[in-house]
Amino acid sequence: MPDLIIDGRPVRVPKGTPVIAAAESLGIVIPRFCWHPALGAAGACRMCAVMFLDGPVKGLEMSCMVPAADGMVVETFHPEAVTFRRRVVELLMANHPHDCPVCDEGGHCLLQDETISGGHALRRFPGRKRTYLDQDLGPFIQHEMNRCIHCYRCARFYQEYCGYLDFGPMQNANRVYFGRFASGPLESPFSGNLADICPTGTLTDKPGRYKSRRWDCQRAPSVCPHCSLGCATVALSRYREVVRVEARENPAVNGHFICDRGRYSFGYAASAERPRQARADGVPTSMSTALALAGTRLGGVVEAFGPEAVAVVGSARSSLETQTALTALARAGGWRGPAFFADRTEQQAVAAALAALAGGRARSLAEIGQADAVLCLGVSPLHDAPMLALSLRQAARAGAVVAVADPRPATLPLPFTHLPLAPDKLPGAAALLTGAEAADAAAIQRALPLSPELWPALERLAPAFAAAGNPVLVFAPALAAQAPADARFGLFPVLCGPNAAGAALVADADAPACDDLARAIEAGEVKGLVLAEADAAALSPRLAAALPGLETLVVLDHLPTPSFAAAKVFLPTQTLFESGGTLCNNEARLQYAAPVAPPGEPVSRDGRGGHPPRDYARKLPGTDPLPAAALCAVLALEMGLDMPALSFAAFTGVGPEDVAPEGTRATRLPAAPTAPAPPSAPPGQGLVVVRDDALFATDAYGRYAPLARAQAPAASVVRLHPDDAAGLGLADGEALTVTVGDRRIEATLAVSAAVARGAAVVPRLPGWAGLPAAIGPETLRRRQP
Amino acid sequence: MSLPDAVVAEIDGVIAAVEHHKREAAVDVMYALQRHYGYLCDEAMHYASKALDMTTLELESLATFYDYLYRRPVGRYVIHVCDSVVCWMFHQDSIFDYLCRKLGVPPGGTTEDGMFTVLPAACIGNCHNAPSMLINGRFYDRLTAERIDAVLAELRQSAEEPVRCK
Repeated sequence: MPDLIIDGRPVRVPKGTPVIAAAESLGIVIPRFCWHPALGAAGACRMCAVMFLDGPVKGLEMSCMVPAADGMVVETFHPEAVTFRRRVVELLMANHPHDCPVCDEGGHCLLQDETISGGHALRRFPGRKRTYLDQDLGPFIQHEMNRCIHCYRCARFYQEYCGYLDFGPMQNANRVYFGRFASGPLESPFSGNLADICPTGTLTDKPGRYKSRRWDCQRAPSVCPHCSLGCATVALSRYREVVRVEARENPAVNGHFICDRGRYSFGYAASAERPRQARADGVPTSMSTALALAGTRLGGVVEAFGPEAVAVVGSARSSLETQTALTALARAGGWRGPAFFADRTEQQAVAAALAALAGGRARSLAEIGQADAVLCLGVSPLHDAPMLALSLRQAARAGAVVAVADPRPATLPLPFTHLPLAPDKLPGAAALLTGAEAADAAAIQRALPLSPELWPALERLAPAFAAAGNPVLVFAPALAAQAPADARFGLFPVLCGPNAAGAALVADADAPACDDLARAIEAGEVKGLVLAEADAAALSPRLAAALPGLETLVVLDHLPTPSFAAAKVFLPTQTLFESGGTLCNNEARLQYAAPVAPPGEPVSRDGRGGHPPRDYARKLPGTDPLPAAALCAVLALEMGLDMPALSFAAFTGVGPEDVAPEGTRATRLPAAPTAPAPPSAPPGQGLVVVRDDALFATDAYGRYAPLARAQAPAASVVRLHPDDAAGLGLADGEALTVTVGDRRIEATLAVSAAVARGAAVVPRLPGWAGLPAAIGPETLRRRQP
Repeated sequence: MSLPDAVVAEIDGVIAAVEHHKREAAVDVMYALQRHYGYLCDEAMHYASKALDMTTLELESLATFYDYLYRRPVGRYVIHVCDSVVCWMFHQDSIFDYLCRKLGVPPGGTTEDGMFTVLPAACIGNCHNAPSMLINGRFYDRLTAERIDAVLAELRQSAEEPVRCK
């Protein structure tokens, strides 16, 4: 722990900390371009020069390149250092265009800040500026190479930190160029971070162009709702429209970065299809009329059939506030529910996954980056939880062994071993790698007799996992029973929605699931349903099919789901951007997303291309939506119910006032419920259906975000192992007709040895939700021309 | 257009020699392709990318960094004129100017007959014979205007196959 003095103030920092970071811990921000806390030093920009007056290093040095040492006396404002930095910024500006007024970075630009603070104002160099031709880097990042100062942040982030190799430095000396071999979309699913880390306007956010100056936006800290990891974001809103989402630093979760799904899927909030007005029997009406009607209809059901005839369904995408309010509403009315999960097994699985985290075994994303062995069990990192892939890469860069046991083809930007195994084989594989002793060849062959091609890999992995001091098991909830008792293993479940953990904490252990409610509707026991921020079709096809049997269906939502279309009474709710809310992520960490702007029809649509109406007395359009929790309270009031004041602290052990900025872990975890039975082989012949996410537009919100939808693959793909495809007489690339219930879906077949034998990998989309657990030749058929 | 068997065999041989570290062979593979195509055309880059399991971007980073890998068509003779301190001390600047004027091309240009390309290089490691230039792997020392005239005339007459850097 070196002790040093910076600008007359003593500071003690951990060994290895560069002087620039030590200064920052004192609040002294030394100018910099190339240095970034996540990327470390490059010494490329020469901007962070400071004067070392005493200690092991003397003279003018780059503070990013010198590790803090005992006895150092550093002066950041020494006249020589100040002059040096002024000259450096003057040199950098020699080639930088003076296009700040039309530059998207203008106003939040590090180069601007440091040119001004460095004291450079008048150009002395009379020569021509260096110019480049730009490239089209795809839909997310705008390229403007003339503005580049060659700090190498982008290349180091893209290639070293993320592990993608289609973007990087070219040419040499004064002509260095950052780009691709040829124009084309960036391949990295983390490419959006380039706009955040580029200290100039060279790489800027393309979807946000021509929307607003950054400083004109309303900004608020938010939490990403596009998978279960809960990465920290900043939401920026302008003219009643979220125009941009940026990464926010949370050292315990996402570090400095977020994935492109989280960054570019915000469009659902301002989508033209978003229902913003209440409806009664499909006819737009006022909020109060719809609420009164909902009260009357539900009251009628209660009167005729008793309170048990009303049920409540919530979902894993609602905030804890909403989930709690739904619970309070159901309790007040004596209604069934709320149901948050498709079936009881899923609910038990998520509860078991959370229960396993007790006793300090939960790991954060940051801690996965420091693990020395990671087994992903039934999880495909890049698509189930994209930022997990980035943490795995950091672990792998430090020498960790990474194995992915999953039936789906896995691609990761790091060296790893893929064990394509059908779901029923995963527990066996987990047992081989999570035991205290390394499994020997005989044990491996006994456990997986039909996969000889995986034996050598497992024989290599088993000793590495047995020897690991800090291994982590990343697992899907269905495999919670495989969490090893060995306390060496940290645990990291990956769940099925942004607040799935919240739902599992809030739901009663004996709460009905959607399938139970569907059965009750079919049996005529349930006549009224409150469906809050849940898409029945995606959640439980059986429930969706049962909806017409209801007397009344009250839907609360902000997405135009099929359930919205089926609603008898519809009540529009606010999004997380509008109401704010608390989400509980996969490691049971509660995080608060602050509201960024109130709801409203975006000005761009309100004006229909021209100036918005100049009628200042009118009510702004699209401002009806209320937070779902508030709607629950009003509904209770309408029905004369005494809704208890319930805080989510009752379910999580952490109250709203206790949620720290970096998140707070729930202290009340489910008490060791019965772990779900491990997945079993399908009875008889058939391929187990395994659902696969895509990077974009398979999550509940992304499906309704235009920009995310534009990135989704045009055709649905079904993936099979070559042996299974041969068994069905199908060939790679063939056009298929897939029968789902009474509908037919067109898809293309992709055959790959990276798919587990006995598995059929299908997209995780609502249209495919009706597939049975196992399918055969009657479901997968060659499309007749 | 597919590559001649001899070129394919040469590339395979270079890669086989480094077996588990294919990328070590990147520059040698690009030289082999450059000798065949005359310069590294996009087709050559894509071939190298497949052969080496490297992205075209990684190879472009190398090809555009090094002086003797050419990503644009060059003349039959590539003249690397030393553009560094010691050669400047021996009035290299006027030599460079003279060469460009004589051939009627700017630095980096190729003569219309496709015979010569003039490129500045820093440095070619021949300081004891400054000012100096390197043409297709051969040094030409202690240059003067007269010597340059003689060298150009000689090369124009030469029938031998030009040697490229290996």
